Amino acid sequence: MGLLSGIFPASEADKRATEVRTGAVAPSRAERQKCWEARDAYFACLDAHGIVDALKDDKAAARACGSESAGFEKDCATQWVTYFKKWRVQDIQKKARLKELEAQGAQKMDVNSDFAPRS
Amino acid sequence: MARAAINALPRAVPRQCTRLVSTARSAQAKRPTAPSPTKFQSQPYQPLVQRRFKFKTVEEAKSRYRSGPFSWKAGLLFVLTGAGLVWYFENEKKRMHSKRIAESNKGVGRPKVGGPFELIDQNGNTVTDQDLKGRYSLVYFGFTHCPDICPEELDKMATMFDLVEQQRPGALNPVFVTCDPARDGPKEMKEYLVEFHPKFVGLTGTYDQIKSMCKAYRVYFSTPSEVKPGQDYLVDHSIYFYLMDPEGDFVEALGRQHSPEQAAKVILDHMKEWRGPLKTR
Repeated sequence: MGLLSGIFPASEADKRATEVRTGAVAPSRAERQKCWEARDAYFACLDAHGIVDALKDDKAAARACGSESAGFEKDCATQWVTYFKKWRVQDIQKKARLKELEAQGAQKMDVNSDFAPRS
Repeated sequence: MARAAINALPRAVPRQCTRLVSTARSAQAKRPTAPSPTKFQSQPYQPLVQRRFKFKTVEEAKSRYRSGPFSWKAGLLFVLTGAGLVWYFENEKKRMHSKRIAESNKGVGRPKVGGPFELIDQNGNTVTDQDLKGRYSLVYFGFTHCPDICPEELDKMATMFDLVEQQRPGALNPVFVTCDPARDGPKEMKEYLVEFHPKFVGLTGTYDQIKSMCKAYRVYFSTPSEVKPGQDYLVDHSIYFYLMDPEGDFVEALGRQHSPEQAAKVILDHMKEWRGPLKTR
């Protein structure tokens, strides 16, 4: 899209991308999708290098996944980048805890949230 | 049979036992009487060694050995306790059951969720709780800058809404309320929601209007306090779909554990049970 339509629309697209990054506008569905893909690629790289907390081990993460990190930060709002990195740590911890509980013989239960009286 | 019962008599009256046995043997139909005074008197002076031999005859000892530690008293106690416990638990079970039915009919424990509000939709029109009445409403809270959960849930809501529409066209209002009124004006809401479903109603308002709306729906949300103008932030908020009936009363909260199909079924089931008027298209 940007390639075909000359210099002006390209800068327009850049402007939009900057706005998305800074959080000035909410991303559209396509922009969200692009961000999630960049995130998944970055997380796959972190997984491959055994890095859990990309915020704490930022140097190791930058060394191992520099290009993926650049893509992630280009396509996602800065706030989202931090949020997703924190989310990943929690998700890994949650999965480990569930595994631990399962090993102890805990049973998974479906939690029902309705308040309707039962007869 | 009679002998077994007699032999099972407790140790306190061993002498009487002997008597009974011997009388039965000799066919003398005599009423058993108290032990003779001489024997009774002699008891305290019996040497200690003798206490080890409780039985007068070999036969008696054998029968005692056969019946073991059981006696009619123990048996009776066992049966009575058992019967008592059974009676108590049966009674208690009946009581709890009727209590539960009474409580469910009274409808206590239904939380007070929802209430009057006045907000504006994505086209700038005022929408109040009165406008939602007459139809079921599915209310979801979120914000347009939401990174992952809200968009997923809104897609789910669109599927849910379409499934309900197929069977009951126009009977459900799909409502999205922003928790981030500072950034989500009608224009932003319109751009955001059109990508999910053209029929979604997006509500926004002033900070205070949104705050009281969230309070009425028991929605927790927190906007970071020290936000500079132009600075990006995320809003923490509850992620339930609130199903409200045509009178604006809360019916059920649908959560992440429901698939769109399950949730649509829940909504349709409630619509089937609804006895009051229900608008359609």
